[in-house]
Amino acid sequence: MSFDQNAFLIIFTASLISISCGLLGVFMMLRKMSMTGDAISHAVLPGIVIGFFVSGSQRGLEVIIGAGILGILATLIINWLKNKAKVQLDASIGITFTLLFAIGIILINMLAYKVDLDQECVLYGEIAYLPIDLWITDAGFSMGPRITYLAVLNLLLVAAFIFLLYKELTLTSFDENFGLVIGLPAGAINLALMSMVSYTTVSSFEAVGAILVVALLVVPPATAFLWTKKLTSLIKLTCGLGIFIAIAGYYMAYLVDSSIAGMMVAVGGVVFLGSALFKSIKPNSIFGTSTSIKPLEN
Amino acid sequence: MIINVDSPVLEIHDLTVSYDQSPVLWNVDLSLPPGKLIGILGPNGAGKSTLIKAIMSLVPVTGGYVKIFDRELNDVRSRISYVPQRESVDWNFPASVLDVVMMGTYGKIGLFRRPGKKEKKIAMDCLEKVGMQSFVDRQISELSGGQQQRVFIARALAQEADLYLMDEPFAGVDMATETAIFQLLQEMTAAGKTVIVVHHDIHSAMNYFDWIIMLNLHLVASGPKSEVVTEELLRKTYGGKLNLLTKVTDIIRQKDFNPLKN
Repeated sequence: MSFDQNAFLIIFTASLISISCGLLGVFMMLRKMSMTGDAISHAVLPGIVIGFFVSGSQRGLEVIIGAGILGILATLIINWLKNKAKVQLDASIGITFTLLFAIGIILINMLAYKVDLDQECVLYGEIAYLPIDLWITDAGFSMGPRITYLAVLNLLLVAAFIFLLYKELTLTSFDENFGLVIGLPAGAINLALMSMVSYTTVSSFEAVGAILVVALLVVPPATAFLWTKKLTSLIKLTCGLGIFIAIAGYYMAYLVDSSIAGMMVAVGGVVFLGSALFKSIKPNSIFGTSTSIKPLEN
Repeated sequence: MIINVDSPVLEIHDLTVSYDQSPVLWNVDLSLPPGKLIGILGPNGAGKSTLIKAIMSLVPVTGGYVKIFDRELNDVRSRISYVPQRESVDWNFPASVLDVVMMGTYGKIGLFRRPGKKEKKIAMDCLEKVGMQSFVDRQISELSGGQQQRVFIARALAQEADLYLMDEPFAGVDMATETAIFQLLQEMTAAGKTVIVVHHDIHSAMNYFDWIIMLNLHLVASGPKSEVVTEELLRKTYGGKLNLLTKVTDIIRQKDFNPLKN
């Protein structure tokens, strides 16, 4: 089999996106906020539309800023509904993101003749078009696929964010009150994480779509957590799973001639179900922990 | 009976806390001396944990103020240590015992920086003090309840503070561990630290605390053990809970300790 440059680019980009989503997803899962990630990925739609309308193109910085603001807004509304209006967390998530998403759809329809955007593009994405969507410089020189650059930049920023705030993210995920007591800006850290999720969603939606971003945020961390109880192994395993999902998803899609993003998530789901099934039969097999499970002496 | 002290380590003035309009703490007004082992006693729902949380600004305060070391909380955070209730976190979190204890040092490290050798040594020393040194690398999901509690106490010790606030640190802890931890707390107070403990077992409270705060929505008593442990005040604190009261008098009789003689 000869080297297929397009296949390599698609798998490479998909891996980058899965890793970015997985890194953030680990902390979202540990904070029991996986569904907030889901809400954010939908709630950014009005921000994307407004940014699109202001800048006139989907490449603009305005799109990312608009989405970021809406992501934070969604988080704030969810927290407000939960804490002040005493609405249950799942209900406040359901209300918030459907409302914002609906506003996004209304905006798309109202501005339909002005913006080149439709909800299918936002929801499903199409990574297979990636090799023909090139970044052309002003001098007319082709630099390669635009979305790959976006994905590289996104991964760099996500990795830097997690590297710099690793200690704070871990502490506030485990025990938020203790973080507040020792003077960590727990609220700001939480909002920063939500902004990174919003940014990652926007950066990835053209390739895999908003719905599938959710799967990449939730499924690899949840699968990895079945296998390890150590944070560093959890992060490594999540990244590994992300790459595996990208490769397997691409070739399965190639085989049956179907959607690559859809197949990636299907592969992830199957791996998760397989792991869950295996763990329910053999609950004690684990790797990545430094100690073996044995009866404690006291 | 409320006994106030000069130059207190902690001063609470007219503190009122309410959840959803209904107050859970009414006009609490007290001051506490330094270097004492202080117990907060009261029935369930008396507002014991709320008092600790209000001191740490973890719940919004409706009225009154708290002063620690005669300063605002934000100026003295590094000198205060906190042990939350064990159930307040998910112990299935992927972290080792050492990871959790090191968290006690994070307040002093500052943003963006990683803990190093010095912090690791502090954490190891603290684990040794609570007798958990052989569990350093164990994942916290594999610990028993009493061990989890000791990890939390070690984390508080790693903060190297002057004032320790502990919310039910003896819930689900066996007698041997309880005695060992009380000894450790007594050593700390002997070294000049102040330790405030929310406690529910009147029996062991009589044995260990120097100063007792009795709480039942209102402040019933605050003072040295010998002065505030009277049948009248215990009755006021625990209200009409007769079963419990008989138990209390039993304990007092057993211990051959009759506060009414005082």
